[in-house]
Amino acid sequence: MSAATSSLDTAAARQEREWKREEAAIARKYMGRVPWEMVAWGLGNFVLWLSIWPLTFTGVLPLWAAFVLSTLSTTLCYLPSHEAQHSIIATEGSRLRWLNELVGHVSTIPLLLPYRIAWITHKQHHAHANDPDLDPDIGNKGETWWQSAWNGIQARQFGAGHGYKNALRRSDDPNLRKAFSEASILSLGHYAILTALAWSGHAIEAALIWWLPRHIAMTYIQIFLSWAPHHPMEEKGRYRDTRAWRSPVGTILSMGMEYHVIHHLFPRIPLFQTGPAYHEMRRMLDERGCRNDRPE
Amino acid sequence: MRFIRSNAMATAAGPVLFGVAFLAPLIAQSLEAASLPTPFGVAPIHFGLVLGLSLGVIAAMRGRWV
Repeated sequence: MSAATSSLDTAAARQEREWKREEAAIARKYMGRVPWEMVAWGLGNFVLWLSIWPLTFTGVLPLWAAFVLSTLSTTLCYLPSHEAQHSIIATEGSRLRWLNELVGHVSTIPLLLPYRIAWITHKQHHAHANDPDLDPDIGNKGETWWQSAWNGIQARQFGAGHGYKNALRRSDDPNLRKAFSEASILSLGHYAILTALAWSGHAIEAALIWWLPRHIAMTYIQIFLSWAPHHPMEEKGRYRDTRAWRSPVGTILSMGMEYHVIHHLFPRIPLFQTGPAYHEMRRMLDERGCRNDRPE
Repeated sequence: MRFIRSNAMATAAGPVLFGVAFLAPLIAQSLEAASLPTPFGVAPIHFGLVLGLSLGVIAAMRGRWV
């Protein structure tokens, strides 16, 4: 009996290796180029966010417009850093590695998300997606998007025993100390700036340009980058922990996450290539039993 | 690990500091901007300090703002 089970296991492992080889042959076509659009997006968006401050303080931009622009810009700031986390812009040791790291560090400053902390925890999300104990994103689970939004807000409260804190406790990443130092500098800098602005008579500007947009952006990102592509966050495994889906608000407003299944299978495929890669792999993925909630 | 422990202490004090350093002037300036009166006619910043500090202490005790 155990010999038969073992033989079945071996056959299943062999089949999965064969599937991965077939998928990789397609995936390779979409990997390897520098996604310059993400570099421009990450750095350009950061410059836009920075420019909101002087434009508001000089009266060029009304505060309501600054709030809208800042919320938009902060919401858009995560994805370029995400590409950098996966070394999609440039791999370690390559000529443009500095650019990868620059985009990674700079683009998420509005969101107050330290690049190395983001990468250390995101690696654990990929390794343990949907695991109730090990996936740092599991706090975003919810039956509906509004329940997920609320659960996400609860999970990122300072006293919550949330998945990110646990993921960092478990991590033995060699960059952990550096990541904590950078996180402390970013966080202290943020609160020092908010305090200085508030006590110099600009508390409302600080709240509407940085504090509130950051919270709104964080919730939007959690819904579209975490909850929607993994919903209902129950299953695990290479072909079941995420899905292809059709967003009711479209591909752009859901930030390309309709093809998140491709990102989990091949994290080095740039965001803009996940759609084409999905369409080429679709039949193959359906055969493997991938979760596909996207009508043909 | 040591960092996480010291960070936990900082996060407990954090809400109180945030309440005083940011929420207090935010509350005061919001009241002034909306031309709203303060209870007992106290200065907006004094009202902001009392409310910001109270919210910060409550948050620190609950471990959460909301």
